Amino acid sequence: MNTASSSPAARIVGFWMVCASTLQPVHASDTAGTRVHNGLLALYDFASPSGEIVADRSGAGKPLDLEIADPLAVRRREGSLEVHCETLIRSPGRAAKIAEAVRLSGEITIEAWFQASMGNQRGPARIVTMSPRGYQRNFTLGQDGDRFDIRFRTTRTGTNGLPSLSVRPKHSTADLTHLVYTRDRTGRTRVFVNGERVLEEIVAGSTEGWEQFPFALASELGGDSPWLGTFYLVAIYSRDLLAREVEQNFRAGADYRADVLLSEESSTGGDLFAAKIAPLISRKCLECHDSSSKSGGLDLSHKEGAFAGGTRGKVLAPGDAAGSRLIELTDKGAMPLGRPPLLNAEKALLRKWVDDGAAWTIDKIDPAVHAEPKRVSETWVQRLTVPEYVETVRAALGIDISSEAAEILPEDKRADGFKNTAYNLNVDLGHVGAYARLAQIIVSRMNVTEFARGYSDSQALDDDELEPLISKVGSQLLRSPLEEEELSMYKGLSSSVISAGGDFEQVVSYLVEAILQSPRFLYRVENQRGDGTAWPVGEYELASRLSYILWGAPPDSELRAAADAGELHNSASFERHIRRMLDDPRAIERSSQFIDEWLDLDRLNNLQPNKEMFPEWDPRIAADMRTETLAFFQDIVWKQQRPLTDLLNAQFTYATPRLAAHYGLEPKGDGLERYDLSLTSGRGGLLTHGSVLTIGGDEGSMVTRGLFVLDELLLGEVGSPPPGLDTTPPPTSPGRSNRAISMGRVESPACGGCHSKFEPLAFGLERFDGLGAYREADEHGNELRQDGEILFPGEAEPVSYKSAAAMMDLLASSSRVQQALTRKVMQFALGRPLVADDEPAIATIHDMAREGGGTYASLITAIVKSDLVQTTRTEF
Amino acid sequence: MKNSRISRRTVLRGAGGVVVGLPLLEEMTAASAESSVPVRAFNVFFGLGIPAPLQTEKFNGVLEPLKPLRKKLLIMRNVDQVRCDEDGINAHFDGSSGAFTAEPPNGDARAGGPSIDQVIRHARYPDGQPAGVVPTLIGGTFFRRSRLCRYVHSYNQDGTVAATIQERPRELFDRVFGKVLLSDASPDERRQRLQRSMLDSVVGQYLYYTGANSPLGAQSRARVADHLDRIREFEQRAFEMKERNPNEPQLPARSRIAHGGYADPGGEGIDMNLGRLTAEWRLMADLYAMAIELDRVRFGSLTFLAAGERLRIKGDYGYNGRKIFEFDDSGQRNASGAKGCSHEWWHDFDPEGTNEQLRAHAHMKMREVGYFLKRLDQTKEANGKTILENSLITVSTESGDGRHSDPQRELSGVFHAVTGANGRFKTGKILDVKAEGLDVYNTMLETMGASSRLGPPDREHRPVNSIRA
Repeated sequence: MNTASSSPAARIVGFWMVCASTLQPVHASDTAGTRVHNGLLALYDFASPSGEIVADRSGAGKPLDLEIADPLAVRRREGSLEVHCETLIRSPGRAAKIAEAVRLSGEITIEAWFQASMGNQRGPARIVTMSPRGYQRNFTLGQDGDRFDIRFRTTRTGTNGLPSLSVRPKHSTADLTHLVYTRDRTGRTRVFVNGERVLEEIVAGSTEGWEQFPFALASELGGDSPWLGTFYLVAIYSRDLLAREVEQNFRAGADYRADVLLSEESSTGGDLFAAKIAPLISRKCLECHDSSSKSGGLDLSHKEGAFAGGTRGKVLAPGDAAGSRLIELTDKGAMPLGRPPLLNAEKALLRKWVDDGAAWTIDKIDPAVHAEPKRVSETWVQRLTVPEYVETVRAALGIDISSEAAEILPEDKRADGFKNTAYNLNVDLGHVGAYARLAQIIVSRMNVTEFARGYSDSQALDDDELEPLISKVGSQLLRSPLEEEELSMYKGLSSSVISAGGDFEQVVSYLVEAILQSPRFLYRVENQRGDGTAWPVGEYELASRLSYILWGAPPDSELRAAADAGELHNSASFERHIRRMLDDPRAIERSSQFIDEWLDLDRLNNLQPNKEMFPEWDPRIAADMRTETLAFFQDIVWKQQRPLTDLLNAQFTYATPRLAAHYGLEPKGDGLERYDLSLTSGRGGLLTHGSVLTIGGDEGSMVTRGLFVLDELLLGEVGSPPPGLDTTPPPTSPGRSNRAISMGRVESPACGGCHSKFEPLAFGLERFDGLGAYREADEHGNELRQDGEILFPGEAEPVSYKSAAAMMDLLASSSRVQQALTRKVMQFALGRPLVADDEPAIATIHDMAREGGGTYASLITAIVKSDLVQTTRTEF
Repeated sequence: MKNSRISRRTVLRGAGGVVVGLPLLEEMTAASAESSVPVRAFNVFFGLGIPAPLQTEKFNGVLEPLKPLRKKLLIMRNVDQVRCDEDGINAHFDGSSGAFTAEPPNGDARAGGPSIDQVIRHARYPDGQPAGVVPTLIGGTFFRRSRLCRYVHSYNQDGTVAATIQERPRELFDRVFGKVLLSDASPDERRQRLQRSMLDSVVGQYLYYTGANSPLGAQSRARVADHLDRIREFEQRAFEMKERNPNEPQLPARSRIAHGGYADPGGEGIDMNLGRLTAEWRLMADLYAMAIELDRVRFGSLTFLAAGERLRIKGDYGYNGRKIFEFDDSGQRNASGAKGCSHEWWHDFDPEGTNEQLRAHAHMKMREVGYFLKRLDQTKEANGKTILENSLITVSTESGDGRHSDPQRELSGVFHAVTGANGRFKTGKILDVKAEGLDVYNTMLETMGASSRLGPPDREHRPVNSIRA
């Protein structure tokens, strides 16, 4: 086969393109001509036109090359191998890498492009096999006349992989054929012929018993069932490819060359600057040498400034570390000024980078990206948080366990800003006891018989009746089908109950109780094993990710059905579910959890202002503040569906009469009421809520409030105060307002470098006291102002504002704030802090969300459609 | 000194006359049936620290309360934790995270690596500890809770917390001695048997997800393995311990000091009565010590105030019958809120000054740490030594200078004291070790028989042999 246009494979692909409407649509990001390589174990593209060896060109582990027993029985061309006489093409030893990988993953895909010499070969004639002899195997793809016969060994089949699956293709078995067999951990097996799914069923059992048999083509050891024909490509994966991936491989054609794939992979080399140098500059240099500080005229935050140098000339001489002033100063510890010197390893890294040419591969160094240099992408299994547990029980069993869960389950602690941060969702004895106790309470509240009737009409206690019941109940509660071991285990439990004289109700009760404590119920278990690359998540995993991100709850029946049908990787179907789920009240509840945790509204439960300063304080106002923020958020996000940035400057709020009076608004109604603030001086937007203003403590600290705006909305980074300074703020007094004290710091040579970046961010809030009440003079009669300026990180000059409202407008229109909100929602959605590796995905999500109007819905949609949700970074 | 035999009806008498009752002890001391002395390691943390110059006064200054234990302690001066500094002067959090890990934090709820007790735990008990032993016990009295590393001092290999901290005496009691009650607590044997079968099936699943064929990655498997450990502990308590006799002594009384979010209203600090604080500390110390004595705990940590703690303490403080000081932080500082807290005495530290208030506060904390250590010195074990002598107990804090004026100085000279760990380390000495905390800890780990080390893997190990016996 020389060119795709002339090959049989190209012809069949061309034919398919005409009939494409019969197949699943291809994901927009897929490119015809590329093959899936995640999970690839072995790949034979028959590229060599001669020789006795068929090379494994997968690049995965040790190559599993095959030997041709009788070279005269084959004709080799570049891209194909024709077996015209009986022979065996086999691995010289055991195919350990296939056996072990599949035994571990429980999943497999066997793919072959071939054309049989005759349509009537029988035996079945072994096309691709992993077997030591005729009656023992891990798998075999064979031809049996006008059918394809597939044997696959599990713990529930014989050692010969029987009973086999039989597939009759639409066309002749002698035509060029793309045959793919996939099987997932749950036993769901699919067969695709020429990109089209022709069979799907459950093949029970696991691959635990797989042995390290040889891998072979065209026959097997013993040679009783040879196959004659031409091979174009054979591939084995340690996972079940999604339907769209099978389709992608089909579209890539039979004449694919592995070296295309290998060169693609090898082209992505390491980037020392992005990986090491930029973080180092960010952490050690930008405090004084960013676009605004620009100490000595040097701006190291972007390429142009760095190479231009400062007032004393250039600091970088590419290729010549010894002649670079930056290296000289850091080497002798003169820089960073007033900070600890760089470590020797850091100095060596800088020298190497400059000596290698000082390649500057990213446009601008953003300290927000490199805030946590130690952080790397980690994959933690996510335990259900308390609200997720409650919702999962409610969805699965219709039981409201919220009050008991709140009382019994240990509280989830906030880590890195959110309570669902996976690394911190650990478990102690208290959890185990609580899960056990809650399971008992839940079951005691159920009408167990009625519940079971939803899955089976029979109440018989024999295995044949119980197995499907257990399977269905388990599948429903555990969010995906039961695996073989799980089914066996739950059957064992039911046997124990029955043998102890238990009746049907007790069997189901104990079953549910056990499931409620299982790891698959309490954690969002996903496959994390693979080849170290990012693999597409499975259908059920995607369903769970989608539902927990959007709802904080498990997939509903529609989502489950879509996963059952393998439709979730179909982008149209996926979008339909997103839209449907965003219309559900659970999406509102979930978004409320986001704002609640982000702003740490639990803090309001413990507000204890100084009684002397605030003698009129009514503790109930703290709860009203929380209610205000949640109602305001829901109005913007859901009722009006406005961009998230409108949270900063929307001219309305919600308040109880108590809170309205506290704010100086004219109270109305008896409960929570919406207040138009367009004519109200100062107040308007999230930062003017009492729930946020109280972060500054009783004094309304400008440092704390300013840092909140900088950290949470502007993605800014400042270091701690330099050594030797008294950081105790003097108290306000007549003639010395908070602003005056703050200006002292901002204008101080020692403090101003950093304080000018964040304290002016709080100036617009000066008229709000520590508890968020509005006043125009403080207790000493000092006039309070609301003008100030914002220095957006990365910009050289600050922007002035005249009023709190103008400040809010500046923030609301800032792309930096938009990015910050994207990151916050992303972190909550993913349940982990973002890391530098996420940057490309963050940018894509952000752009997509902006195109969608910058709303919460558009952002969530972009997140769940991103690679961060659609794939899992696997481990070996 | 008491006899090593523990009375079946042992009761704890906490400060303030609180009586703590224990359930039947035979079940609880199953682990102690081992003839040899178990390996134990505990981290004892106290907030705010002892400025390095005050550590040079031997036992004549703030260390006076440790004097009765001096022959059983190795006091280490000039231990440097500068590598834990993260660009800045506010080293409360950094120093606290570095205590017992020698690494800067990795997130606000995560340490930069494991703590020494956990490394020893996994090295010495790779297959788990005997049934009935709480895998790790973390207890403490703390108020400031903005970041977890301020008050938790026992960390897994990946830097996550090794267990949930128990901050109320009752929680600590329950964690160690509590009997798990299943369903209706029915004595119905059939029901018990079925409950057990059910739990067996649950355990089977956890075994699968922690085994070789698990689909989970390494960190996730470790997380599920932790969960499995807790289930086994739960099983042991649910099925292998007898029901508590209703006539047995009862739980300790409810705590009388603030906990949870109430303990930290917006970082402004809270008022604190010295008597109540001391009573709580002693009750926690008693409970923790009893847990060790009964061999219910071999690893963990106990915290005496968080790093950078903000309390406005009031009350008379005395030691050995003499009045040391009258605490009135807010009054003496003439300030309310955060500025009226004892924390500020550390900011005001003057090496040339009297530092009267700081000294009194530090002395008082040493008295309480000493109280805990003395409790462990009351029980002899099979080898004729006391628990204190047989265990590795590391005492440390957050900084060697609280002025926030120099990160080098602030994280140098961080107070450390260790016990002999059954003859492994020198005692009865005050040593100027002049070494990094990382090297001190790694030397301790090596001496305790742990092969893995803390800190960057490519860093050269510089053993501090002067601390070895």
